[in-house]
Amino acid sequence: MNVSEEEKLHSSDNESDSESEGDLLSENESSSEDITESSSDSGSDSDTESESEDEENAPNGDIRSGDAEKQEKPKDEYAEDSSDEEDIRNTVGNIPMEWYRDYAHLGYDVAGQKVAKGSKGDELDEFLDKMENPDYWRTVTDKLTGQKTVLSDDDIDLIKRIQKGCHPSSSENLHEPWIDFFSSETMIHPVTNRPADKRSFIPSKWEKLKVGQMVHAIKMGWMKPRQEKKVKEEQEFYNLWKDDEEPEITKRYRQHIPAPKEIPGGHAESYRPPPEYLFTKEEEEKWREQEPDERRINFIPQSFSSLRLLPAYDRFIKERFERCLDLYLCPRQRKMRMNVNPEDLIPKLPKPQDLRPFPTAEYLASIVFKGHTDIVRSISVHPSGQWLATGSDDGTVRFWEEITGRCWRKVDVGGKVSSVAWNPDPNLCLVAVAVNTSVILINPRLGDKLIVSNTDSSVLSFGQEEDNSTVAEKKLPVNWIPSDLNLNDYKAGILLRVEHNKEVSQVTWHAKGDYFATVMPQGGSMSVFIHQLTRRRTQNPFSKPKGLVQKVMFHPVRPYLFVATQKYVRVYNLLKQQLVKKLQTNCKWVSSMDVHPGGDNVIIGSYDCRLSWFDLDLSTKPYQTLRHHKKAIRQVTYHRRYPLFASASDDGTVIVCHGMVYSDLLQNPLIVPVKILRGHGTQKGLGVTDCQFHPLQPWLFSAGADGTVRLYR
Amino acid sequence: MADVEHVQVKFFTKQEQYSVPDTLFSVPASVDSKQLSQLINSLLQGDAKTEGDEDLVKFDFLLDGEILRTALNHLLQEKEVSSEAVIELEYVERQPAPYPENSLLHDDWVSAVQAAGENILSGSYDNTVRLWNTQGEPVMTIPAHADPVKCVAWIRHDTSDIESTFVSGSHDQTAVIWRWHKERNEVDCIHVCKGHSGTVNCVSVSPSKEKMCTVSWDKMLKLWSADCLPEDEPESDRPRKKKKTAASKAQTRVPILTLSGHNDAVTAVQWVDDTSVVTSSRDQTVRIWDLKQAVQSNLLQGSEAIFDVAYSPLNGLLVVASASRHIHLYDPRSKEGAVVKQSFTSHTGWVVSVDWSRNNEHLFLSGAYDSILKLWDIRRQDFYVHVFLDLLPKAPLYNMHGHEDKILSVDWSVPELILSGGADNNLKIHHYNVTS
Repeated sequence: MNVSEEEKLHSSDNESDSESEGDLLSENESSSEDITESSSDSGSDSDTESESEDEENAPNGDIRSGDAEKQEKPKDEYAEDSSDEEDIRNTVGNIPMEWYRDYAHLGYDVAGQKVAKGSKGDELDEFLDKMENPDYWRTVTDKLTGQKTVLSDDDIDLIKRIQKGCHPSSSENLHEPWIDFFSSETMIHPVTNRPADKRSFIPSKWEKLKVGQMVHAIKMGWMKPRQEKKVKEEQEFYNLWKDDEEPEITKRYRQHIPAPKEIPGGHAESYRPPPEYLFTKEEEEKWREQEPDERRINFIPQSFSSLRLLPAYDRFIKERFERCLDLYLCPRQRKMRMNVNPEDLIPKLPKPQDLRPFPTAEYLASIVFKGHTDIVRSISVHPSGQWLATGSDDGTVRFWEEITGRCWRKVDVGGKVSSVAWNPDPNLCLVAVAVNTSVILINPRLGDKLIVSNTDSSVLSFGQEEDNSTVAEKKLPVNWIPSDLNLNDYKAGILLRVEHNKEVSQVTWHAKGDYFATVMPQGGSMSVFIHQLTRRRTQNPFSKPKGLVQKVMFHPVRPYLFVATQKYVRVYNLLKQQLVKKLQTNCKWVSSMDVHPGGDNVIIGSYDCRLSWFDLDLSTKPYQTLRHHKKAIRQVTYHRRYPLFASASDDGTVIVCHGMVYSDLLQNPLIVPVKILRGHGTQKGLGVTDCQFHPLQPWLFSAGADGTVRLYR
Repeated sequence: MADVEHVQVKFFTKQEQYSVPDTLFSVPASVDSKQLSQLINSLLQGDAKTEGDEDLVKFDFLLDGEILRTALNHLLQEKEVSSEAVIELEYVERQPAPYPENSLLHDDWVSAVQAAGENILSGSYDNTVRLWNTQGEPVMTIPAHADPVKCVAWIRHDTSDIESTFVSGSHDQTAVIWRWHKERNEVDCIHVCKGHSGTVNCVSVSPSKEKMCTVSWDKMLKLWSADCLPEDEPESDRPRKKKKTAASKAQTRVPILTLSGHNDAVTAVQWVDDTSVVTSSRDQTVRIWDLKQAVQSNLLQGSEAIFDVAYSPLNGLLVVASASRHIHLYDPRSKEGAVVKQSFTSHTGWVVSVDWSRNNEHLFLSGAYDSILKLWDIRRQDFYVHVFLDLLPKAPLYNMHGHEDKILSVDWSVPELILSGGADNNLKIHHYNVTS
């Protein structure tokens, strides 16, 4: 029914429309292609087949709908939208039309009549049609009916849109502007305004149950808290050579080492150098004789009249090779050169001007004590500083007034005096003098009259008490001879003689003035004696010889005795009778020694020109060694008050040094040489034999081989 | 003479009696002050030329405050003054030079000396005290002490009186007061002052002549009564120290006051006024003591052991000799700032003795171990004030050579007499013409 209705309804142009639909694509193709091609059999066969399939699947409906729209716009869309209502004039169905190739008809229409094939004109008609018909390009053949139809403008548009890949319908816009409803921005009027669920704020029963179970399991010990993973252990190995401050790559940037530069060529290398650059014959000969390394330039300059005549460069290979060698041997690492100012390496010492007072000797010597006729061997200053005692090789001991340089008294002791020492006891006026094999105690009768007379009586009375004990210790070869019987001696002030069996080289007092020690270098095991004045007793502290004893000193505070042998200084505790320390002097022959008034520092002078400072708390090796003297050091001495020490030498000079000892144990002594004092001449190879500081003033007394004693301020 | 360079000189002076017309003179550049002095004299005297040198007034010439001592061109070179410009020379009358008058030979070192009126007192290392008159004749030799004499001082000396008293201190730790009867030429030992336990270094008698002070090696300052009224005879049989001084009337005197404070030997003492004394010590200090209250009233710290101090009542300044070649001028009144007002440096040995002039507040004497006696003018720095920022005078007014060994003591108690005793056993007397 439907079909028939349609037939009626649709006019002929409709018919043509539908025809055109059927083979739309294929026809179009063929029209666009060459005529010859479209006519070729085999090709067109396959084409039409595939095309027909396409036509079946998709485009049919669309085109139709397009048709309907176009034609019946005012109508309801759905009124005739039925595939059943298509106007079908050929009812053969959906078969390949080739099957009707050999027939005159194309199938059958609804009425059962054969649908005649359109008369196919020959090629000439075709051509003429092509030439004359303006609608030829839009004329297609309906395969089902064999009718020719002309495509409308709308159809063309449709085709064009499909070809472009656009939506077939022109009214459809696929790229509508985007409205972002669910944007991140919070709107006043939200898209959804649903209140939060109740479950979102009611604690979860399930979780509570689960947690309760876990708590219980932990309590019961079934479940153990997860053990934290151990921190990754430190790397077993580390790059020893890694510069941790700077990564490798930046280092390479920073410490870029450029390749060595090639020296630019000079005039001599020119192909035609100025004549002064060319070698003369002599120069050339000389150049050839020279070692390649010594040559100033490594080629002979040559001159050519033009560049054309220049031969090939014969040294090219060699030069490149050398360049490669240069690059290969160039240093790969920047050599860190020590850029140190040499003066910074010298320890910072204060200026001598800042270390005053010390003896400065503005005019060689402030006071010269003249009177001795031979070498003055020893000086000793009265503790008050008013008097000075000197012993000389001329067999006399002289006493001087310090301030005027006046010789106050002269005592003939009948032998070369090797050592003099004032008794440090302020209540005694007594000088010990070492002469040959004896020690003589002299009362110079200087100073306070009361003390002088007391000294006489007390020193002599000491003897009477102690007669018995001297007898008891007869084994020691020491003899105390009081001189009260000998009137001449007594008048001269000689109170006591202590006779030894060997030559006495040194006598020194203990700080309290009761004990004095004597040194006899040849004495062997009996080379050091300690005498007690008040009891007239003599002890031999050492049973075995320890070497050639040079000097002994009492510790100023503690009961220690310093014994200097040729190479060592031993410190003995006299109470415990044991060796406390043994200082290694590193000298060949120690000549002199002095102990700092604090007792913790010792200076040693040696015949090999060294002065060594020992810090007893620090080490048994010298803290500092000074080698300022050119000849043997004869005497070293500390100042009792000021941080000064001095050394007297055979080169005729006395060198005064600042030697500050700090009470802070961490701070090492500061030693600065401050002054060289000259003035003494040298005689018989001897220069200055002794030096002593003034006990109160920063002044220095020195005794010389020239028989004078000098006071330096 | 044409080749000699000439300079143009203009003279001016502040002393009106010697003013000359303000004219330019062209003088040879090598002219010295003596020739210039002659030129000024000839200008002053006009045409009346005199031959005798003694009539001439001697002048010192100053260029920019520096005294012309050598030829003028040397000074010009030294001060880098162009010889093209006009040179303005100031001239002042030269201070009269002391001239050596006498030399008194002793048997031993002369360690102490003091003059009064017509007489000179000297102490020597041969344990004696000697009396001389100003003509240089020995009056008396007193075997005063058992040990060398360190100091002497007149207590009362009037030319009209027939009796004079003096005191001597010695190494034997005593000071002895003596009375000298001029007519009979007798000396009595009146008092022996015992108490010191060291050498008596210095003795000083108060301006009122009633007290005296001694200082000693035992670090003490002791005040004694200096009255020398003959006391009662019966006390004479006290034990006496010295046989030689055997005046039977000698009495032992004990100190009124003993002051300790110095840490080392006290070397010198001098009265400032009737109640205070100044002492110097080897502990590098100068101390002023108030004797009325028996306290130390001032302390001036030096930097060296001090050997001698002298106080001038005219200007209230102290001149201090220390164990260096410098002489320092201290102002005891200054409370803050540097104590040392000036330094005088010319000696080449320790300066051990200084003394002020009694009538001129600018002059003082110094004797040193370099055996030169020097006369200084403290104003002298005024001349140099522009040249030297440190106001160091370059040289003393006069150097007095003559001693052949250390000078131990100087004295200027009598303005006309400059006395010095030395280790060459001589006591040198220089005469000084006192001006105004």
